[in-house]
Amino acid sequence: MSRHADDTRRAVAERDRGHARLRAVTAAAGVTSLVAAGAVAFALPGAQHAASANSASATAAASAPASGGSAASTGSSSSASKSTAKSSTTKSSGSLSKAASSPTASSGSGSVTSGGS
Amino acid sequence: MTGITSTTALWYASRATGIVCLVLLTAVLVLGILVNQQGRLPGLPRFAVTGLHRNLSLLAVGFLAVHVATAIADPYVTIGLAAVVVPLASPYRSLWIGLGAVSLDLMLVLIATSLARAHIGRRAWRGLHWLAYACWPVALAHSIGSSGDLRAGPLLALTAACTLAVAGAVTWRVVRAVRATPRARRVAVVLSAQAGAR
Repeated sequence: MSRHADDTRRAVAERDRGHARLRAVTAAAGVTSLVAAGAVAFALPGAQHAASANSASATAAASAPASGGSAASTGSSSSASKSTAKSSTTKSSGSLSKAASSPTASSGSGSVTSGGS
Repeated sequence: MTGITSTTALWYASRATGIVCLVLLTAVLVLGILVNQQGRLPGLPRFAVTGLHRNLSLLAVGFLAVHVATAIADPYVTIGLAAVVVPLASPYRSLWIGLGAVSLDLMLVLIATSLARAHIGRRAWRGLHWLAYACWPVALAHSIGSSGDLRAGPLLALTAACTLAVAGAVTWRVVRAVRATPRARRVAVVLSAQAGAR
């Protein structure tokens, strides 16, 4: 009878250990997924391309300090960038970085345009 | 410094969560096959494989919700609310976003029937669960078609790895099903063994 109770106790402990491992693996998968999502977002081709576009526009802004006009045009260029994003994403991977960077790139170009105008 | 700004954050979040979601769905499908074949994972009891399959499904649904929400809220593309579940309703890349809608619809059926499994019966649930095999390729097609992210670089390798994992798991299941002794013969063997023991 006590042997039966020991077996039961052991089985229950084993089951609890299994549940704990399951929780740990699930939590690890969740954290890994979140980290991966963040890493992927920063490593996406567009993000890297946009980084260079950003630095280029930053350099341009530093050399020609017309920040008031550029800030206004960034807001107004949202519709233009939307259409750019749409048209460029319809193309293949070659234009992917172009597509992904289009929001930033277009807003950058928007600032240049407004500076020119 | 990256190109992710407050205005483009949704665009990047949508793409990133979509990619993670594809990986999670791949894991869920492979685990589902493992559960079906009564396989085990190292360090985990058998019931934990089923639990992991379920938990990762819920995790994938969470990422899918973020993926869909950010895609709708993103100001750079116009994806209406209806396009989330109605195929070809999106003005932006209607075919590929439509495939995403089909995949989401299939996933909703899978989730709903799994939650209502006790009510609909095991046979109906099992029959509907076969839709998972349609859901994954449709989701993959949506991922590849709607964005060029998965068509080049390391993400192409990731896509290939996901495809290989699913292809391998499906092949394993088919091979085991072909090699398995038919149920009727198994029952006959067990019955004759029992009769011999008496």
